[in-house]
Amino acid sequence: MTAQPAGIADAIKITDLVKQFGAFTAVDHVDIAVPKGAFLVLVGPSGCGKSTLLRMLAGLDEPSAGEISFLGNTVSSGTGGVVADPRQRNAGLVFQSYALWPHMTVANNISWPLKVAKWSKADRDARVNEVLALLGISALRDRYPAEISGGQQQRVAIARTIAPKPSILLFDEPLSNLDAKLRIEMRSELMRIHRATGATSVYVTHDQVEAMTMATHVAVLNIGRVEQFGAPIDLLREPATTFVATFLGTPPANLLPVVRRGAELIYGDLPLADAAIAGNLDSAQLLFRAQDIGIGRVEGRPSLAATFSEAAPIAGQTMVTAMVGDVRITGMVDGYFHAMPGDPIELSFLRDPDAVFTTGGERVAR
Amino acid sequence: MTSKSPTLASGSRLFRSETVTPLILIALVAVLVIAPLVKIVLATLTPDGLAAWQAVLASPLSQNLWWKPLANTLILGFGVASGCLLLGGFLAWLVILTDVPAPRFLGVLSTLPFMIPSFAAALAWGTLFRNSRLGGSAGFFEVNGIAIPDWLAWGLVPTLIVLVAHYYSLAYTIIAAALSSVGADLIESAQMAGAKRPRIFFGIILPVVTPALIAAASLTFAGAVSNFAAPALLGLPVRMQTLSTRLFGMIETGSGERGFVLALLLIGVSASFLFLADRVVSGRKAFITVTGKGGRTKRFALGAWRWPLFALAVLLGVGTTIVPVLVLAASSLAPQSGALFSNWTLHFWIGEGGGQMAQGQAGIFRNPVLIDALWNTIKLGLTVAGITMVLGLALAHTIVRRKGTLLANVLSQLAFMPLLIPSIAFAAAYIALFGAPIGPFPSLYGTFALLVIAAAAHNLPYAVQSGRSVLGQVSADIEESAKLTGASAVRRMLVIVFPLAIRGLLAGAILVFVKMVRDLSLVVLLFSATSPVLSMVAYRYASEGFMQFANAITLLILVICLAASLVAQALQSRVQKWKQS
Repeated sequence: MTAQPAGIADAIKITDLVKQFGAFTAVDHVDIAVPKGAFLVLVGPSGCGKSTLLRMLAGLDEPSAGEISFLGNTVSSGTGGVVADPRQRNAGLVFQSYALWPHMTVANNISWPLKVAKWSKADRDARVNEVLALLGISALRDRYPAEISGGQQQRVAIARTIAPKPSILLFDEPLSNLDAKLRIEMRSELMRIHRATGATSVYVTHDQVEAMTMATHVAVLNIGRVEQFGAPIDLLREPATTFVATFLGTPPANLLPVVRRGAELIYGDLPLADAAIAGNLDSAQLLFRAQDIGIGRVEGRPSLAATFSEAAPIAGQTMVTAMVGDVRITGMVDGYFHAMPGDPIELSFLRDPDAVFTTGGERVAR
Repeated sequence: MTSKSPTLASGSRLFRSETVTPLILIALVAVLVIAPLVKIVLATLTPDGLAAWQAVLASPLSQNLWWKPLANTLILGFGVASGCLLLGGFLAWLVILTDVPAPRFLGVLSTLPFMIPSFAAALAWGTLFRNSRLGGSAGFFEVNGIAIPDWLAWGLVPTLIVLVAHYYSLAYTIIAAALSSVGADLIESAQMAGAKRPRIFFGIILPVVTPALIAAASLTFAGAVSNFAAPALLGLPVRMQTLSTRLFGMIETGSGERGFVLALLLIGVSASFLFLADRVVSGRKAFITVTGKGGRTKRFALGAWRWPLFALAVLLGVGTTIVPVLVLAASSLAPQSGALFSNWTLHFWIGEGGGQMAQGQAGIFRNPVLIDALWNTIKLGLTVAGITMVLGLALAHTIVRRKGTLLANVLSQLAFMPLLIPSIAFAAAYIALFGAPIGPFPSLYGTFALLVIAAAAHNLPYAVQSGRSVLGQVSADIEESAKLTGASAVRRMLVIVFPLAIRGLLAGAILVFVKMVRDLSLVVLLFSATSPVLSMVAYRYASEGFMQFANAITLLILVICLAASLVAQALQSRVQKWKQS
């Protein structure tokens, strides 16, 4: 990252962070920095190291190398281990399992951390009432965790975490145990709470929709490395790697392997683009958005015979998936579309490719 | 089980079998469990019985008949419960929540003592610690010049130690299960709240496992107050009486009614604590059963204490499992109890009678009584295991399929009642019921059949429990999906239900078998000269001072139990290959 002007330290700054478990590298030289009040989403497939990264931010695990600093203060480092223990970081963590203490009522679950932090009884009671109201669960205060539903447990877990007013909020896949409807509801709930508390938040998920909807900053992780870090829209528009390109976005973008033939890039026998866009590469991958692929032949555009596989209507359009050999290609068509699986259909490439990648998955600069 | 045929014609048959079976089961359970208890209560309400109540509770004799045994019993109960909580809790904490070396090994070691019957430990204690106060040969230590004071050789203290050594692994199992349900998340969220280690322990871990601690305490308490073998072997020689030895003595000497009164009182003492404990942890506070998402547990670093604590745990485990077994083995080979490790001979195992040794008695494998007892024991174990598993499966099926109905509730309450009743008191109740001819039926007292019936009844709770877990393996969905393929009931039974159920069935059956083979407190009253069993013969030998024979037979019992467990494991992995991955 570039040097900061004095006095404006990043709320969270992760520098060259590494975490190894024996010979296995879970987090591999990660650099991320976000300003105060940011909502950073760490997204990636399972096993990509995102939870390990979060646990190091929480101070539950120590890094093997590198450094984490909050507001300019080093809290963990590869040389010093966990410099500041969890409480000193002024951070709160919402667990995937909620981790509510089963022997305490909802109110006690929320007030216990305050008690540990030596708040007075009056302050505790006031704060408990405040966060119960903020989460809309005041009626549950005397229930035990086992007596309330999963969605309610989730709210209690969030209430418990924000009660001590942490300046950094950490979320470990908090919505993954909820059903689809509740998940959308809690998503906006979480964003409301983020605005209400103003706490810098780090949110781990494998769901790219959550990343796109909630984040101010997104880091896409894959096998321990940051594939790309930036604003959600930038990642969507300018994916740095094929991994990012195919991981983000609904419907997923299409990647077609092409080779150079003369001045053209061809897929099978079909010329798809001018070879100049691939620089001097002999083979490359072309990225086509779903909206850039139509169904049926279009005059003057390249088209391809495919086998219909499935269709899903989305907001007045239909997302059509077809197979060309082993390659799955998704296109969009206006209105509803009907076909039987196995029917032959024609796919047209309506526009030039959105991006070009090397066969290794790196983006080729235009 | 009942087969559900879709045709209407069979509707009436279906109706009949579905209502009649539970009624038969209720009647059966009532005869097995309720009748003896009702009978023993009635027996103490006759003129003789009322006199017995008075003699026991309000007479010059009551000091010796009731108060002193009660005091001893309670001391043992509370002593054993606290000892077990301490040891079992310590080991569970060490194995589950710390970075102690080889936690799996320690875990297995900590569960072993419960496999060894308490009379084995008591006999081993006697072999080492008995002193010459009562005549007869002294124990190993005294012969080798280490004077053993009376309090360490006989009575309360050794009984307490032996019982703790036997029951702590029960406490360990319960507490360890509870601790491993305390997920790392629970602890880490407390860490995130800034709590330090002691605060996490007392604020989170301890409260979460409290129900398990209470359960462990009440179960070990109940076990200790109903135990017969240890106080009989270590206490009776110095006239230390507990309620169970008193009750045994009364019935042995023909004062049946007084024995029955004591049996009822013993049931009262044992059941009241189990009941109290159950009340404390039931309702909203029974949270331990509803969490347990955990999976991952948090291990605390022990630092410099890692190896010392590991050594302590190993010492505990070895001292309560391997040492007693070795002592028994050495003793069964050594002609003199003072020289456990010299002049070894197989005389006590296979020697011919008539010589100088053991007053001319032959070794156990040449003793026809013993061979007889061996077969009786195995026969008893197998019969009881078979009967209880069938009965347990039938009961569990009825209870599960009719969940929520009055019938199911009544059945499950009845089936679990024996759990509250110390086995020796249960035996007394059976004597009360079957000791005299009932109508045209002859008295069953002293027959093998009575032993089988009583044992089956007493094992019902375990049988129903394993029956339930067996049925849990075979969900209704699984059976129905087989039904949809058109497979017949017999075929479904053979191909689907049986392979899935076999593991649970075997485990349950082996548990019951092992319990029966090593049981003393139930058979001690119901056994007779015509149907001796091994544990009883060992007890007889021990009380007559033939320690080597007693020890040899005890070893034999251990070997049978061990073999049964191994067979069970081998069978399980052979039958259920998909569990091996």
